[in-house]
Amino acid sequence: MSNKKKWLTAGIAMLSVMTLAACSNSKSSNSGTTKHISLPASYTGSGKATTAGNNSTLKVAEVNDAPFAGISSPTLSTNAEDQDVFAPGGSQWGAIDGLFNVTKNYKIINGGLANLKLDRKAKTATITLRKDAKWSNGSKVTAKDVEYPYEIIGNKNTTSQQYSSDFAAIKGMAAYHAGKAKTISGFTYPDGQKGRTVVIHFTKMSPSMQYLGNSFIWQSVEPYEYYGKTPISKLASSPKVRKNPIFTGPYKLDKVVQGESTSWSPNKYYYGKKPQIKNITIQVVSSNNIVAAFKSKKYDFAAGGPNVVMPSSQYPKVKVLKDYTETGIPAMGYSYFGFNVGHMNTKTGLNVMDKNSKMGNKNLRRAMMYAVNVDAVAKKFGNGLSWRANTLIPPTFKNVYDSKTPGFKYNMKKAKSLLNKAGYKKQGKWRTDPNGKKLVIHLGAMTSSAATEATYQYYLQQWHKAGLNVKMTTGKPMEMNSFYSTIQKPKQNKIDVFLGAWSTSSEPTPTQIYGVDAPYNMGHFASKKNTQLLNSLNSNKAWNAKYRAQQFKKWQRYMNSQAAYGPEQFNLAWTPVNHRVKGYDVNAQNNEFWSNLSLTAANPK
Amino acid sequence: MWKTILRRILIMIPELIILSILVFLLAKAMPGDPFTGSINPRASQAQIHHLMQIHGLYDPWYQQYWNWVVHLFHGDLGMSYEYQEPVVDLIKQRGANTLWLALFTMVLTYLIGLPLGIYAGRHEGKFQDTLVRVYTYVTMSIPFFVVLVIGIWIFGYALNWFPTSGSISAQASGLGETLISRLGHIILPGLLGALFGTVNIVQYLRSEVIDAKHSDYVRTARSKGVPMKDIYRHHIFRNSLLPIAAFAGYSITGLLGGSIFTEMVFSYPGMGLLFLNAINYRDYTVITALVLLYGFLNLMGTLLSDIALSIVDPRVRVE
Repeated sequence: MSNKKKWLTAGIAMLSVMTLAACSNSKSSNSGTTKHISLPASYTGSGKATTAGNNSTLKVAEVNDAPFAGISSPTLSTNAEDQDVFAPGGSQWGAIDGLFNVTKNYKIINGGLANLKLDRKAKTATITLRKDAKWSNGSKVTAKDVEYPYEIIGNKNTTSQQYSSDFAAIKGMAAYHAGKAKTISGFTYPDGQKGRTVVIHFTKMSPSMQYLGNSFIWQSVEPYEYYGKTPISKLASSPKVRKNPIFTGPYKLDKVVQGESTSWSPNKYYYGKKPQIKNITIQVVSSNNIVAAFKSKKYDFAAGGPNVVMPSSQYPKVKVLKDYTETGIPAMGYSYFGFNVGHMNTKTGLNVMDKNSKMGNKNLRRAMMYAVNVDAVAKKFGNGLSWRANTLIPPTFKNVYDSKTPGFKYNMKKAKSLLNKAGYKKQGKWRTDPNGKKLVIHLGAMTSSAATEATYQYYLQQWHKAGLNVKMTTGKPMEMNSFYSTIQKPKQNKIDVFLGAWSTSSEPTPTQIYGVDAPYNMGHFASKKNTQLLNSLNSNKAWNAKYRAQQFKKWQRYMNSQAAYGPEQFNLAWTPVNHRVKGYDVNAQNNEFWSNLSLTAANPK
Repeated sequence: MWKTILRRILIMIPELIILSILVFLLAKAMPGDPFTGSINPRASQAQIHHLMQIHGLYDPWYQQYWNWVVHLFHGDLGMSYEYQEPVVDLIKQRGANTLWLALFTMVLTYLIGLPLGIYAGRHEGKFQDTLVRVYTYVTMSIPFFVVLVIGIWIFGYALNWFPTSGSISAQASGLGETLISRLGHIILPGLLGALFGTVNIVQYLRSEVIDAKHSDYVRTARSKGVPMKDIYRHHIFRNSLLPIAAFAGYSITGLLGGSIFTEMVFSYPGMGLLFLNAINYRDYTVITALVLLYGFLNLMGTLLSDIALSIVDPRVRVE
């Protein structure tokens, strides 16, 4: 009996060791590097593409812990997962049924499904479809298909979440949106609704219209004829959007397994470069399994293109895989510190700064930014894939990003002297405000991974070192909904400083986040200079790209000087790519992402 | 007995009404709304208000509740905000996935658990008994998600025997292929669930068998010279099933509950993940529908268990 007992304990011990090994992340020891890794944005495997390879199936993983919703239309979908799993329906990443080709800076050029011509004098945008533009069911893409997304977005009973105030610049859009008009009067069709040309009449023109992702011109088409009589309010749940959608891109949808996977084959009506690979499947894989999946060569790469969301914590484990090469591109987004400096006047809809608010002193805010060593945080938890952000514009927008501004490099001395100079004197353990009153600052942050929550604790500790009594609102990280419903209130005093993140579209004008009338300006920062600078980004002068870039940079420096929002981290959007893949390239100017792919072997190597 | 069943069912009605009101109120009391944090910064605040309005989210709760009840009686549980499709369709899809997996797991669990329990009871105190007990202790003490992670790692990724993601292959077509692909996807999670979920059955059955073995009627039967095999089959087994029958009802209705762990690890779109996400995203319509469904199933479960018990044990009569 005693022997059996021993065996039992040994067995349990063995199992528990295995458990630990399976759960703990192996810590990487990337020593010394404060700068981030730079990964290539493209990869092409060695050897020639083979018939067997191209006749096989390209296997793409969609890293997500929940099933996808399954709305194929970019006008109606509300999340990135849907955009990813239906991506082969468009020629570039993130542009399902996309209209335009772009340059490396996302500037719209000719050659795509349609060409765009802006007429500043007449205040019109003319969109001309190419002659051979067809849907994957063989029917023609018409002028009406270009207009229909606007009807969907602006409809009174729509489920689309895309309507922005900028659309009101289209003549008649506001009336249509309010339900006062049945059509949008600002659209005209020189050769009829079934023709190839649409003219959009605006009340004002914006230089941002030249870039993909702007908030005036919608960048995809919707199959008006195919939808038939389906009312707009029912579109998102209709089989024509979920089960049997049609596309204009290089691939047509063969099958969608709700919430799990999509499979694709070449669209013979595609106008552009003929796709080389015969089949594509995109399948949801949970983030816990993605490394094991790549290890056992189940997938060729992860979905998302320039916005792929492979967890950076997995990088060291993926890096060692011999049959994959890592590619990456700076993500269109950043995380930031926000300071609550005012409120929103609900009557005027404008943000107002309160001079006497707790965080109203810019030197206090700057001191708090200098007191935290974001470089160290990025180094500790980022695996080289994230780094301290120096501005509020992501570096992927090379033409407008200000690489030279230093941002807030860790400097505790400076932090303390800024506080001393501003009158935040130490009395006992903590500093008081300049009036000698007790100062307690509340940090609001969302529940997240263990690493992120450790980061919150680190920030608190650094601020304590600087003599500031900073506590977490509610004493612990907040659940996402509570967090947002707190900071989105027009006026609140529960959170003084918060941590947030933004992803941007491919046109980075930040007015809708930091503008005086922006509801997402949740710290309520507003100043004349800020409004001036933001307006100048899309002023008449800004049609000159050089001037526009210069104003963008001015704005970035100004925001740092005010420190109402402090940049925290940038990161790389990365994925391993299997060595059988040729032609993988997520650079913006690759307007034929799917058609440029080919395979050298029938299975992932 | 029929009277009793009818009465029990009638009592369910007020119970469900109270439950639905509670759930409805609690769901609305959670901070945030279906659009919190999900809207892109380009959408205007006015658009959010507009969406809230057309979904009736600004109406007083009793009005929202009443609308919901009226729709309910038309078989309409509303639209999911997150998935933008009717909740009924959503539950049908996910429910089917969950049912497949859970049924498979349950059948396997009983197939493994029943013989093991009897075997262990029969060999009480012997080597075989210890072996079975060690097996149940080990399976019980390892957290299930660890089992899943290790299982998928060994059999899914390292050995490549089973698919690792989803409920069906993306390329399966035709009835035969679809069925085989579906089955292939549930074998591993089902087997793991069964192998590591037998402890209740085995332990209950074992102790019942041991009890029965020492009872007077077994001794009498043995003294009459009835062969051991027959004693087990006719006397012990049936009596030992009592506690298992007592929770059989629950396990049948629990089939639709889904397992969050299994669904997460295997990216299996079932009811567990649906419920979890609905709470995270404040998908009110889905939350209320699911809680009500689970409430109903639980009430049914108790009823079924009582009925099952009365069938197995003629002494117990529901009156």
